Amino acid sequence: MLTNMFTKNSPKHRRVLISILASALITLSACTSVNIDEYKSQQDLSITQDESVVILGRRHSSNYETEPDLISCIGDVLKEGDSIKVIPEALFVDDLYPWLEPRTAPLKVKDMPRILKQPLVQQAFERHKVRYIIWVDGKTETTDSSGSIGCSIGAGGAGCFGFGTWEKESDYVAKLWDFQRLENMGEISADASGTSYMPAIIVPIPIIARVQNSACKAVGLQLRNFLMPINDKILAI
Amino acid sequence: MRYGLILISIFACVLSSGCSNNLLVSGSFPSPLIDSDPHTLGVFYDEEFRSYTYTEASEDRSKWTIEQGAAQRQLFNTILSKLFSGSVELPQWPLTEGSDLDPTVDLVLQPQVSAFQYSTPRETKFKIYEVWIKYNLSAFDREGQLVADWLVTAYGKTPTAFMKSDEDAMNAAIIVALRDLGANLSLGTLRVPELKAWLENNPAHAQIMASRAP
Repeated sequence: MLTNMFTKNSPKHRRVLISILASALITLSACTSVNIDEYKSQQDLSITQDESVVILGRRHSSNYETEPDLISCIGDVLKEGDSIKVIPEALFVDDLYPWLEPRTAPLKVKDMPRILKQPLVQQAFERHKVRYIIWVDGKTETTDSSGSIGCSIGAGGAGCFGFGTWEKESDYVAKLWDFQRLENMGEISADASGTSYMPAIIVPIPIIARVQNSACKAVGLQLRNFLMPINDKILAI
Repeated sequence: MRYGLILISIFACVLSSGCSNNLLVSGSFPSPLIDSDPHTLGVFYDEEFRSYTYTEASEDRSKWTIEQGAAQRQLFNTILSKLFSGSVELPQWPLTEGSDLDPTVDLVLQPQVSAFQYSTPRETKFKIYEVWIKYNLSAFDREGQLVADWLVTAYGKTPTAFMKSDEDAMNAAIIVALRDLGANLSLGTLRVPELKAWLENNPAHAQIMASRAP
């Protein structure tokens, strides 16, 4: 039956082959290694259902910026299963403009009272029911690359030949500030690295190491564990 | 033959557009979370400010043409309308003979761009676009006497991103710089010593009218 359906060179046969090849190419990914360090100043961290968390990226360094897509990725990991309410970064920064801009944002938790002296700022924090502020600082960068790929186009067609490889490293630190106690409750640092490959035989085949994504998931899951320890999750179930 | 010509034309187009970048800056700015001063401000944007366009003159750099007049005017209007209880855009300043100043205006502000600089990843080897803008702000009383004159700086940067054009990245860096300017204006304007002293010593027109009301 199957052999009848997919006779050699039939359009259906070709379509199936192309989709298998395409999905294989999409899912091809290189390995990434992640190291996580954590420091927790208090053991009794918790968050109630009506409290929320805001994750903000540091943007004050002169030669890099913490990527906004990393911040939203960590937020997505934290709010999986609707367990923790996460306020979108852009919305919160706009609502509190200009108090969280690179020029004005508090760099240490002891600087928070400076901005909270403003009644409007205090009200905005209360309106959003912020319990924790998570500051993420760091970047993902390409540290090494080698190889070459050449592409040519001619009357007979086009194609690429060669081999390229590049290495990426992520280095992030997330600091957790408790808005109620105005204390630094802990820190998580994540170092991730991975090498991507791109062999090209007529068509380039990218085998990408998703370094930033791995760092995001590691930080996000660790933060979830900070705020909702496994015992609490079991109790909730 | 026809396909060859098409390919050559596409190649020529790509080459000719490769070294010039035209950008009309666009974006939006949030209203600042600050208390308002009770005075009413008149703001005058001269033609140069309204249509401010930076054109790269250096032969060694890409030919950038950046039109940011509308965006910077939008930023000033957003911030000043919150920083002061009233903000009026003036069609002319200084006043000419026969022209009247809105009676509610206590103070007039005139901003001017005094410097604009940028750097691209090609120049710095960092994967970020950077923009610096310096503004000269002058405040006058109703009689046209200079009350305060000060400089405000703005800095913005944005990382390069996959599939993001040079124009999009430069636009994002300028918007970040204008947000930075907004932060500086929101929190720094009322701390300028000469302006602070003037505002303390001269009650707002609205306050005077309110005190006269029966």
